[in-house]
Amino acid sequence: MKLINYIAALVLFLTLAPVRNSLLAQPVRATTPEIFKQYSEHVVKIEVVETGSAAKASLGTGFFADGLGRIVTNYHVISKLIHSPERYRIEITDVAGRTGAASVLGVDVVYDLAVLRAERRPKGFLALDAKPIEQGTRLYSLGHPRDLGLTIVEGTHNGLLQHTLYPKIHFTGSLNPGMSGGPTLTQAGKVVGINVATEGNQISFLVPAERATALLDRTAKVEKPAAASFLAEVGQQILTNQTRYLAGMFEPNTPRVALGPYDLPTKPTEFFHCWADAVRRKELPYASVSHDCSTDDYIFVSSEQSSGIVRFFHQLLSTEELHPLRFFTLYSGQFQAGNAAMFGNEEEVTPFRCETRNVSAATGKLKTVLCARQYLKLPGLYDAVFKAATLGSRNAGLVTTLSLSGVSFDNVQSVSRRYLENIKWRR
Amino acid sequence: MAALGYIEILDAKGNVSERHGVVALPLNLGRAYTNQIILNDPYVCPLHLAIALDEQGRLIARDLDSINGLREGGAEARVATLELHSGTQFRIGHTLLRYCSIDHPLAPTAIDRSEKASRLASPYTSIGVGLLVLAMFCLDSYLSSIERMKFVDIVSDPLPMISIVLGWAGLWALASRIVVSGFHFPQHLTIAGTAIVANTSLRILSEWLEFFFPALPVLWSTALFGSGLILAALVYGHLGFASPLRRRSRLWTALVISGAMVGMNAITDYAARGKFSTVMDYNGILKPVDASFLPATSVEQFFADSQKLKTELDSLAHKAKSAQP
Repeated sequence: MKLINYIAALVLFLTLAPVRNSLLAQPVRATTPEIFKQYSEHVVKIEVVETGSAAKASLGTGFFADGLGRIVTNYHVISKLIHSPERYRIEITDVAGRTGAASVLGVDVVYDLAVLRAERRPKGFLALDAKPIEQGTRLYSLGHPRDLGLTIVEGTHNGLLQHTLYPKIHFTGSLNPGMSGGPTLTQAGKVVGINVATEGNQISFLVPAERATALLDRTAKVEKPAAASFLAEVGQQILTNQTRYLAGMFEPNTPRVALGPYDLPTKPTEFFHCWADAVRRKELPYASVSHDCSTDDYIFVSSEQSSGIVRFFHQLLSTEELHPLRFFTLYSGQFQAGNAAMFGNEEEVTPFRCETRNVSAATGKLKTVLCARQYLKLPGLYDAVFKAATLGSRNAGLVTTLSLSGVSFDNVQSVSRRYLENIKWRR
Repeated sequence: MAALGYIEILDAKGNVSERHGVVALPLNLGRAYTNQIILNDPYVCPLHLAIALDEQGRLIARDLDSINGLREGGAEARVATLELHSGTQFRIGHTLLRYCSIDHPLAPTAIDRSEKASRLASPYTSIGVGLLVLAMFCLDSYLSSIERMKFVDIVSDPLPMISIVLGWAGLWALASRIVVSGFHFPQHLTIAGTAIVANTSLRILSEWLEFFFPALPVLWSTALFGSGLILAALVYGHLGFASPLRRRSRLWTALVISGAMVGMNAITDYAARGKFSTVMDYNGILKPVDASFLPATSVEQFFADSQKLKTELDSLAHKAKSAQP
């Protein structure tokens, strides 16, 4: 009997052991309703209101990050105010429905963050935590999706995104418009990231908490900066940032891809994604092979402007049956195709101006075009498109296009030049 | 009896519309049927003017106390009498008259250039030009297509254009019939066809020029001036067969019409350039030539020249900012 009792005690111990261990590891296991109840009062709805009509122009979320009333949110939530401070003001609403005003203390346009100060002191705040987290950790995101009221969304931490220019946390959970700028918390209520973007189907992204901490530190002593000074700061941040990521782009060691008789640049850095495609159909008397590379990351500047997108596109056209004059009708058409920018309005950019030349490069002659337009509110920043078409062949040709957005003119020239030097003929 | 001279009634342009021989003096002019020269002008009195020799043998025109008087040439002031020499012009009412003696000097005989015009009138010329236009359209449709084409596609593509040309020549022929009582259809067709051939040649030439020298605004300037000249020549040619206008008047009419068209084009162009657009306006014409024939600048030069873009954009941005509230 003693033996039986002993065995029974051992079995009971072994059965309960995991429970005991987990209880020791996570003494507090807050439920989702508890998390919502405990932290929702530190989260506010942020509306950018048009002063003339008192109508809301944009909506987002933010949270108190200290007892002084400083609020962290996304830059893109309040970008309208940055661009036209005379036309907009910020209105915040807490979970109890109390509204108040807030002013901007600082922005980090590269990481899409802004720090505001509310006029009244908060009852409490959320702490930021930059400690690394295991993949699969449960996270809770708070925000105002489509102005439907404060909402809590559960999801999981899936590590930092690989091959991106700006580190982002991959959050598997449904973020929706309006939740931008809201906090994503651990069960312990620590903010690990700030809601920033979504690609649908539960693929969402967070700005890591340390970027918000850095901006809070930078604006710790700021009292009330002039609203007009932010645009200049935004421009400066973009210029400083692009110098970093464009510096080595298209240097001679750029990876190569062979396209017909040409030797061309591809995937200059890890954060580019490249695709290739070919059109060879029986009914067409020509063939087209294309190679397309672009950065996924961009900096949100305003609803019609972004900076930092680099895209290049090679298209090889060839024919065995078209007369050279007919082939060149096709070739000219492709060289002139896609000559309109998707975005841009009169308040934000100048029209394009272009320069066209026949250029003798190291390995052959090309027709080159450089088109550029300037940003009106961010002086010193330009959108540019550099195009080149190889000349000399009667039945083949390469059109290659490099698009840059929101870069300095010096960078337009130097990056386009390095790109051109990378277009080579295979010998 | 041989005439001493002639009284000529001139039209508004100074051309002779009637001529009356002066066989006996004195001679009376007026609206009444009793006059030797009867004028059909409501501003002329029934008995308006008498022409007679004075004691010294001078030929004198004398106002017969008319309501609207006698004036010399284009002068405003009324005169009671006027001595007439060969070539003297005078005005009564709204009628301009001239006296010419029989020994009045004549302009040299004009050389008849209608032989050239008759070559233009030849149906063979029209057919030749018509075929040339058709061939040009067919070639153009063939070269500007990048799909496989059958012969019937090549020929049928330009048919709408051909019918427009025929319609154009037809309208001019109708105008000719109304104004100068002759259709002159082959001539109008030849003129329209020649203008099309000239315009197409000019376009091809300017495309090649712009391809070789992209820094020159060849296409823009030929579109403006070359096409303007061709248009002037077209109007001048058509008017030659569709109006009684003299060469000089036709030339002026043609230049005015073409100048107006070119001017309107330039204004539209200028307005479009000033308007905001997200389109990159560049000329990407490429041609199959051996690279060694192609004049080209160095990479350094291209990027050095691109500095001008920055200057231009800076000034555009400055202008745009000062225009914004």
